[in-house]
Amino acid sequence: MSPNKKDNMQYIGIDLGTSRSVVSASNGNRKWVESYVGWPKDFVAKKMLGKRVLFGSEALEHRLALNLSRPLQNGVLKEGTERDEAAVQELIGHLIELADVEPGKDICVAVGVPAEALKVNKIAIRNAISEYAKNLMVVSEPFSVAYGLGTLDNTMILDIGAGTVDFCIMHGTVPMEDDQRSILMAGDYVDEQLLKLLTEKHPEADFSLNMVRRFKEKHGFVGSSKRRVKVEAPVDGIFTEFDITEEMRRACESPMPAIVETVIDLIAGFDPEFQESVRKNIIIAGGGSQLSGLDTFLTEATKQFEPCKFTCIDDPLHAGADGALELAADMPEEFLEKL
Amino acid sequence: MSRHSEIKKTVLRGVYEDNAGIPRSTHGKRQSKFAADSQEPVHSSRYPGKAVLVAVLGLVALLGFNLRLVTVDVAGPAAMQVVEEQPLPSYRVQLPVPVSPVGALIPGNDQLVSPEPIQSLDDATITSGRYDTMLTRLGMPMADLFNLQVQTIVIDPGHGGIDPGATGHLGLKEKDVVLDIAKRLRDKLAVTGKYRVLLTREGDRKVFLKERVAFAKENRADLFISTHVNSLPPGAGSLNYVETYYFGPHTDQRSLELAEKENRDSDYAMGDFREVIARIGDTLKTEESKQLANSIHKHLYNNMKRRNRGLIDAGAKTGPFMVLLGVEVPSVLIEVSCISNKAEEARLSTPEYRDRIADYLKTGIVDYLEERAHRRTIEGGIIQNVAKQER
Repeated sequence: MSPNKKDNMQYIGIDLGTSRSVVSASNGNRKWVESYVGWPKDFVAKKMLGKRVLFGSEALEHRLALNLSRPLQNGVLKEGTERDEAAVQELIGHLIELADVEPGKDICVAVGVPAEALKVNKIAIRNAISEYAKNLMVVSEPFSVAYGLGTLDNTMILDIGAGTVDFCIMHGTVPMEDDQRSILMAGDYVDEQLLKLLTEKHPEADFSLNMVRRFKEKHGFVGSSKRRVKVEAPVDGIFTEFDITEEMRRACESPMPAIVETVIDLIAGFDPEFQESVRKNIIIAGGGSQLSGLDTFLTEATKQFEPCKFTCIDDPLHAGADGALELAADMPEEFLEKL
Repeated sequence: MSRHSEIKKTVLRGVYEDNAGIPRSTHGKRQSKFAADSQEPVHSSRYPGKAVLVAVLGLVALLGFNLRLVTVDVAGPAAMQVVEEQPLPSYRVQLPVPVSPVGALIPGNDQLVSPEPIQSLDDATITSGRYDTMLTRLGMPMADLFNLQVQTIVIDPGHGGIDPGATGHLGLKEKDVVLDIAKRLRDKLAVTGKYRVLLTREGDRKVFLKERVAFAKENRADLFISTHVNSLPPGAGSLNYVETYYFGPHTDQRSLELAEKENRDSDYAMGDFREVIARIGDTLKTEESKQLANSIHKHLYNNMKRRNRGLIDAGAKTGPFMVLLGVEVPSVLIEVSCISNKAEEARLSTPEYRDRIADYLKTGIVDYLEERAHRRTIEGGIIQNVAKQER
């Protein structure tokens, strides 16, 4: 690739998440959108909405008039679901639009996807991106986070997303099958647990999944909390205040035993000489890392086994996309040319 | 270079190899069928339009000075019969092959040909009238010509019976280790339901190399996987490494010595191979074997390394192994571990470790087969398109 070509390249990093998708571009643009894609159900809906396709919160808002897709529902594209594949393609196109690339520039895209999706849907995802970019690569989300943080050796990345919790041990190479694990007890699972607990305790109130998701994002915590969690929900049409502190704690802690067990198990299969280093370097990323008290809770929980040190990253929303952007920009020219 | 930079370089190469290994789509931009407005233009062409293809092929032909080209005849036997009376234009696909050696190392790199130099354009051009030449010179497997699926995989556990292979310090024998791994690998491949998987030996018995080759032929093997365990002389006993071979000239003294050791019962001397090695040249069998070797080796080494940082990557390379020469389908010989390393021998003695090795081998084989199937779907589409266009 000649220097001119390199100069003419615009690099884009995308974090294609179950819940949110984020784009980070070399021109400084950083945007995010909720991972919903909706097509108007009929010509009436299309005329009313005035758009061929809607994304994110706008799609959610008009969901009754749309064929709505949340393409990576459980961290993977459902097998044979063309609608989800089409949704990924639309979403990628939308994110690239949001990056606002200067006309005439060639585009190089690196996309981080849930680890399980990389295993089972890599060709579908790559096809979806290839419509938009001259050069492209697809990697797992925890890997792109690790790359952005520069923690490529003797580190475990714990990426708590909506559809899956992805575990990935970095040991100086691209992670392989045995380095990675995924469990489905993630953000969506917590939401379902919270809704169930609240509906059981307050059958008179109308809680919805979207409502409890917002409660969790605002007040979610594990361990002890000094302040009470109070929210409002309608009872016979009248908004009423509820104290949901205990339900919130129980729901947020529900995936913790599985997380601890997987961390211990994954480290146990690592080279014994380096297990200690990995135990001291466990980084929590993804939206789930914003649960208050999470790093302390997990550090305490692993004390009964071999003590581990967990640290939450500062900017979980952008970390994946920023890492992917760095990866795209760092890729040597001779490699880039063939991707 | 700092350690961090070195790691970064390794990681970037890994990302590149992972992504280069995924075949590119030839699909056009797809209009969602879920959109309400069906009046919008639908770009549903599965393959590039005729005009584009003609232009691309023309351009490729014009720029031939920087590309190596190979021509694949798609007219088939029917055209061959006509050729003698009245020469017909043959339908050809010209596939550019990157000059860079890096591309040559990457499995699934959209190449139907060996990345090794072809002497001249004429050498690589085979028309319908030279159909049989294509079979013999390119060594193209019949399965590829008629787009048949891989159905039978033969796994060959090395040694057996009175031939124990290498023996570790604790007394563990190569013949037992590789038989156990081969059986596990067979079971793992069989549960996919896609393949018939056979072993050249089921128990602890001596099988000559010729018998192994004959077994693969009799059972119409589509892939041949020979499993072995490395052993190093006492001075190098602490080393531990994995390596994967496909047939070709030896790349170093050690691979020659290893081949001599493994060829011991072949009834052939190394000198007899020379002519055959030279003649086999760059065939599609070699290219497919190379891609299979790369895929298996990548999964085996990268996964095993996480349990043993000292593991050395001896790579996927050529070696003059008799058992690989005799088999006419993609074939590899894998030294899955190193029994002379005491810690490795201890690990090999546990069923869990052997099961993991079988898992890595299975992933490498399945990855190769899936990539190959995808590659051929794309190539098939291009060939059909060109044929239609020529008509």
